[in-house]
Amino acid sequence: MTPEHSWDVRLIEAAEIEVAVVTGACTGAAFESVIDADLRLAGDAATFSCAGARDPIGCARRLTRLLGEARAKEIMLGERTFGAADALRLGLVTRVVPSSAIADAVRSLEDGLRALPPLALRAVRDAVRATRDLTPRAALELEHQQFRRLIATADHKAAVAAFFARREPAFTGE
Amino acid sequence: MGSNAHTRWWAEGPVGVIVLDNPPMNVLSDDNRRGIREALAEFRDNDARAVVLTGAGERAFCGGADLKEEEELTTETVGKFLQRGDETFRALRECERPIVAAVNGWAMGGGLVLALWCDVRVGSTRAKLGAVGVKVGLMASNVQLSRLLFEGRARDLLLTGRTVEADEAHRVGLLSSVVPPDRLMDEALGWARDIAARPPDVVAALKRSINTALDPVDVDGCR
Repeated sequence: MTPEHSWDVRLIEAAEIEVAVVTGACTGAAFESVIDADLRLAGDAATFSCAGARDPIGCARRLTRLLGEARAKEIMLGERTFGAADALRLGLVTRVVPSSAIADAVRSLEDGLRALPPLALRAVRDAVRATRDLTPRAALELEHQQFRRLIATADHKAAVAAFFARREPAFTGE
Repeated sequence: MGSNAHTRWWAEGPVGVIVLDNPPMNVLSDDNRRGIREALAEFRDNDARAVVLTGAGERAFCGGADLKEEEELTTETVGKFLQRGDETFRALRECERPIVAAVNGWAMGGGLVLALWCDVRVGSTRAKLGAVGVKVGLMASNVQLSRLLFEGRARDLLLTGRTVEADEAHRVGLLSSVVPPDRLMDEALGWARDIAARPPDVVAALKRSINTALDPVDVDGCR
């Protein structure tokens, strides 16, 4: 990323996973895009603020789901600007690295995601999104449905075969 | 007090202890699933006030499902497999007495599910947690991680399948305390004894209340 781009949301295509990377100021609409991503990491010079969000009410709801009530209120009610260390404490980002190392960190995260079976990744992503609206019983039923589907996939069989052969699996998304 | 091929359990005063003993990784077997349910039923009859669940040895709390067993599942048998796991996890969740997981090493896949269905988790410095399902093209522990950590951190762990070491697990709230391996059982028994010393009806009501606090509620109040 160039200095004029202080944030970015990158799509891992096969699995439709969005990774947000923040290296500088992230506020308003940028903040909204970043909290919509699936994974978030930041450089140590990143700053965050919800000020100027187009849909603050929706933003508050999404943050509550993402981080819990106490943390969402801390971010939304005071509208303060906070740095990378606070973002990590709040769980808004799950990893902070020095700005100079951000490109490597992003590459290694993306490579890791691309090496995973895309059907399972997508199923996990959808299940996490759905879980909040479901009772535990219904959520488990959904998880079981997906498990039954996934265990019959070629990628699962490839993973098990690779495990017993002590080699890295290759996934086809089937 | 009782045992089967892969599980041992006994009472220490008001606290019931269950040990998964299927070395080296304490891979989750049907003996474990049945043993946990039998032990919880016995503790209930004998009025134990809290339970500690741990794995034998220092390598693993529970390594999750046996991949060999999983490999042999067919469309017909996978439903039964999921049901057996579910009955065990539900027994932990619905047990009136709180269950303290003493995470002594790896808790991965179904082993993580087991730890997450417990009410309090303490770990040794060797504890390593991994939602590794995605790495083998499956999914597990979505429901519990989403409830325990909220979506932000849950997605991180579930989508990457990465290993969470004891310190990070403590920081994000997956472990309530971390101690050296030789102090882990004392730590877990300490938590269990503190719980056991409180009025059991109050403790049971608290567990129920917290278990259901995040459930969606319909307009008519039905869950």
